[in-house]
Amino acid sequence: MTDTLTALRTAFTDAGVTGRIHALDIGSGAELDLYGDELVCTASIHKLPLLVTLHERAAAGDLDLTEQIDCPPLGRPAGPTGLAAMLDVARLSLRDLAYLMMAVSDNAAADLLLDRVGLDAVNRTAARLGLSRTTVTHSFGEMMASVKQDAGPGGAQALADPHVVARLRALDPAWGNRSTPRELTRLLAAIWRDEVCTPENGDAMRRLMALQVWPHRLASGFPFDDVHVAGKTGSLPTLRGEVGVVEYPDGGQYAVAVFTRTLSTAAIVPAADAVIGTAARIAVDALRERRTQKGMRSAEPG
Amino acid sequence: MLVVDLIRHLECFVAVAEESHFGRAATRLNMAQPPLSQRIQRLERELEVRLFDRTSRQVVLTKAGTLLLPEAREVLARAGTLRAAALRIRDGESGLLRAALPPDIAGTTVAALLSEFRANCATVELELHELSTAEQLERFASQGLDVGLVHHPCDVTGLELGPVLRRDLGVLLPRDAPAAQHTEVPLAALAEHDLVLFPRAGSPALYDDLLTTCARGGYTPPAVRHGRGASFVRGLVLSAAAVALAPRDTADDTTPPGLVWRPLAGAPLAWRHSAAWPRGHGDAAVRAFADAAAHALRTTADARPDTPTRPTYLRPAAEYWL
Repeated sequence: MTDTLTALRTAFTDAGVTGRIHALDIGSGAELDLYGDELVCTASIHKLPLLVTLHERAAAGDLDLTEQIDCPPLGRPAGPTGLAAMLDVARLSLRDLAYLMMAVSDNAAADLLLDRVGLDAVNRTAARLGLSRTTVTHSFGEMMASVKQDAGPGGAQALADPHVVARLRALDPAWGNRSTPRELTRLLAAIWRDEVCTPENGDAMRRLMALQVWPHRLASGFPFDDVHVAGKTGSLPTLRGEVGVVEYPDGGQYAVAVFTRTLSTAAIVPAADAVIGTAARIAVDALRERRTQKGMRSAEPG
Repeated sequence: MLVVDLIRHLECFVAVAEESHFGRAATRLNMAQPPLSQRIQRLERELEVRLFDRTSRQVVLTKAGTLLLPEAREVLARAGTLRAAALRIRDGESGLLRAALPPDIAGTTVAALLSEFRANCATVELELHELSTAEQLERFASQGLDVGLVHHPCDVTGLELGPVLRRDLGVLLPRDAPAAQHTEVPLAALAEHDLVLFPRAGSPALYDDLLTTCARGGYTPPAVRHGRGASFVRGLVLSAAAVALAPRDTADDTTPPGLVWRPLAGAPLAWRHSAAWPRGHGDAAVRAFADAAAHALRTTADARPDTPTRPTYLRPAAEYWL
């Protein structure tokens, strides 16, 4: 346990980041925790609680996931992927918007869904699941707009200046959308155990999380064809995170939430992306070792 | 009902939580046990959660209590800084300012800083410490430091910063090395030399950034040797025909005659500094120190404003977009 925490600290330090992690063996409830109760800015990871609310309301009959939504290009929030990057009118179902939101972190799709279900509903879902420190206070478009405003006229270039990064409201968990690593693994476990809504909704949510395209963070720690990884990333200047579930062929399921802040203000820091996978792997290996030891003990003659 | 007295009630909560024992907590708070128990009960009623499970021998935090403990500590810490700030404000400009500088600041810079600060803030007593950036961050967290001068990159969470200044790095090399012929040395001209650098653990992000930039400029050292102290580094450069990176103001009369300092062509490498202080605590004395430090670095250490000049091309995986 102590060795594992030391290994995690070393991995984070080596990558030039500060890190927080909580990992949970969904089957046994065993956990691993390094600053897992600290408030973190969720950034795009809050698209996961939004997805849960969408499905909860669909399960309650409040909305139909095949409902078609008009997506006008005017007023789309900034973003490098999906509808946020597209130029023309589109018309998509709620569930296909959810696909874009989860697969490529589409800010425009996310805000259309957030408009449809309402901010308060997302907070009510969190409260119902006992996630008292998981709060959404603004849309994804508003989050991007705050970064743009705080960065000032220098644009993306100005984000290389630590003086500018220190004043970004979006990086203050007291201001923006927030949660803790522990609450996020608890949410993941609830999704995987079908405690959130119907199993059909559960399947749909797990499918979307497995369709996320990014290979560089959580998934990079598990270079095995027979290990299934499903997750959602979140990023802001100097902040990188991913929450997800790693499933082994022996049935082991591990919910992991990793959040890092790079010391460097550079936008491209591959080591900081990779350490999310490295840390998750260290944690999952430790949880799996505990499983094996427990199995061996119970197999011993009494 | 608890608004005014919340601080006192939270002190009781934290004391009982830390001592796991009403009697010990009461002793620590210098009060009797019955009123302490009443305070905890009142706080539980007010917050509408049970904070402790009580058995005859022991007090154990409930899940709710465990979750609320860090919040309570945070409120108490804030109250403490509020009182400290009020003290300095109430006394006008008098009081004590605890400030820190990193070890690599030259004596002339320290002297210029002190004289400028005294000129602007004569009544504040300055308690100056020599601390590395990591040590300064620790002291900020434990509220043992009001302001400091830090190296970037560092973890700026919870801090406010003054403008960032850069000190261009040049190269310290043996006088007879061919590269010493250049008035401004291109990085690629250092190719044959080992590089003497601080140990990576001291500042991994800066270490990696320096080596990456060297490589991009055509200099991948055959070996990297580690050294910290100025004389040790100079010794390695002399004896092993290595080179070291250093700002101009560290090359002075004490530099051994066998060594020369040269600027690097295009100034590709730099140390970056800024004043830093805990967010929300930048009072007049803190700002006077920050200004004095910036002024001293500019006038004595060739420091200049570090405005990013290179473009930043965000990639889609960045997830944010301006």
